[in-house]
Amino acid sequence: MKPVTLKGRVIVEGHCQAEALVSLKPISFLGGVDPADGKIIEKKHDLCGMCIKDKILCFPHGHGSTVGSYVLYSLAKNGLAPKAIVNQTADPVVVVGAIIANVPMIDQIDIKKIKTGDTVEVDACKGLAKILKRKEN
Amino acid sequence: MQLTREEERILSDEQGWANRTCMKILVRLGELFGAEKLIPITSAHVSGISYKTLGDAPIEYLRALADANAKVKVKTTLNPQSLDPDYLIRKIPIELRNKQLDILKQFDKMGLTESLTCTPYYLGKPRRGSHMAWAESSAVVYANSVLGAWTNREGGPSALAAAIIGKTPDYGIHKPENRQPNCLVNVKTELRSETEYGALGIHLGKLLRDKIPLIQGLQKDSDQLKQLSAAIATTGMTNMFKAGSITERKETERIEIESSDLKRTIEELNTASGRKPDLVFIGCPHCSHAEMKKIARLVKGKKVKRGIELWVCASCHVRDTAKDAVKQIEKSGGHVLAGVCTVVSWTEKLGIKTIMTNSAKTAYYASTLSKADATLKPMEECLKTALQG
Repeated sequence: MKPVTLKGRVIVEGHCQAEALVSLKPISFLGGVDPADGKIIEKKHDLCGMCIKDKILCFPHGHGSTVGSYVLYSLAKNGLAPKAIVNQTADPVVVVGAIIANVPMIDQIDIKKIKTGDTVEVDACKGLAKILKRKEN
Repeated sequence: MQLTREEERILSDEQGWANRTCMKILVRLGELFGAEKLIPITSAHVSGISYKTLGDAPIEYLRALADANAKVKVKTTLNPQSLDPDYLIRKIPIELRNKQLDILKQFDKMGLTESLTCTPYYLGKPRRGSHMAWAESSAVVYANSVLGAWTNREGGPSALAAAIIGKTPDYGIHKPENRQPNCLVNVKTELRSETEYGALGIHLGKLLRDKIPLIQGLQKDSDQLKQLSAAIATTGMTNMFKAGSITERKETERIEIESSDLKRTIEELNTASGRKPDLVFIGCPHCSHAEMKKIARLVKGKKVKRGIELWVCASCHVRDTAKDAVKQIEKSGGHVLAGVCTVVSWTEKLGIKTIMTNSAKTAYYASTLSKADATLKPMEECLKTALQG
């Protein structure tokens, strides 16, 4: 396929390529993600039980306590952080978390265009998300 | 954003990880909210101190900052911790105590004063019009609305970053044009107690979202306005209110508050349906000097009932400057606890299932954070129950 390029805004610089994990629901890192295994634990979340480790984690925005920023740092220290974060609208909790955890992050991306399982390249120095390969059914 | 040469240098300095990270936080947040520059602050107040609310996640980050020699550049105070060094420390498992001490040690290394209070303004009143970076939403609303100091509602990590750099991005409520009321609130009933001020805040917070209300019908009692500040921040994103009289401005959104609104809010917060409390708690937000004296006067010559705990929470500063009141409260069997509050302590581990309080904020958080039912009544009635059962 011809790669689809989505243009957004740089939040934390970096460059990587990985499989996408996409939710259209906001994520609260405090209480929503287990810093010990990187799994989403918020009961009513559509990604509940999924592991965010090494994924291009795409979600609209964060919500909840500012302690959530620290949870992202903890995940990174435990080697469980996502490869990159792609948001629709960045919010302070996730922005601060991505900065201190040094996880590449971009926002202002239409995440509905990305599907879980797609191979995505994130160029967070230019604010680009490129869908390289669609998930095979 | 326009950065000075010095700010640019910190941002690109490969050696100074701590300062670079903090600067990056401020600049990115500034860009996010449309700030054009950073402005100096006179003080910072950091939330997220209690091990109960923090858990393990932040300790590593705080240690990394402290080990990288990060130091605060302005006077920086800390929110309450999960226990006090005299009473609760003896009731809490040692591993929890040690984790709490570890957190305090990291802050101490960075030069934060161990104030441990949600009322930093009693330790030193900020000047009117001074720019600050405060977390702790109740103090933010009180500072902007009652003290006339200027602070956005920071999160724990951004307040700490501002403290270490000594600056904050110039957006939101730091701009005079963003401090104008854009919603009119007419309180059509007389507010008779601090509890009703709290109920008004809980009710309004939900309706206002992030609007700044001009509220007609408030008294100038600072302890009652403190309850309003804490409650309005509990349910909403509002970081400021104005007290005054409404003049004709028809185009602005208008909210009418009836006595039934307050009555219903208080009923919803009273989840204990009249059951006897395990704990009577005064001090959310932390007590003022005047409140300490009032409590002492109300308990004088009486004893707290067996089977009920009475906690009065304040900063160390207020406790130490109200010695006579403290003596009186302790003589009556109450506990004056410094640097802690029920919301961020392990009350559920002490078998506390019902909390009676005059604080709408505490009542609101009782079911989720304290796993307890609540009874919300004015201070006089709370103390009466503590003394009579």
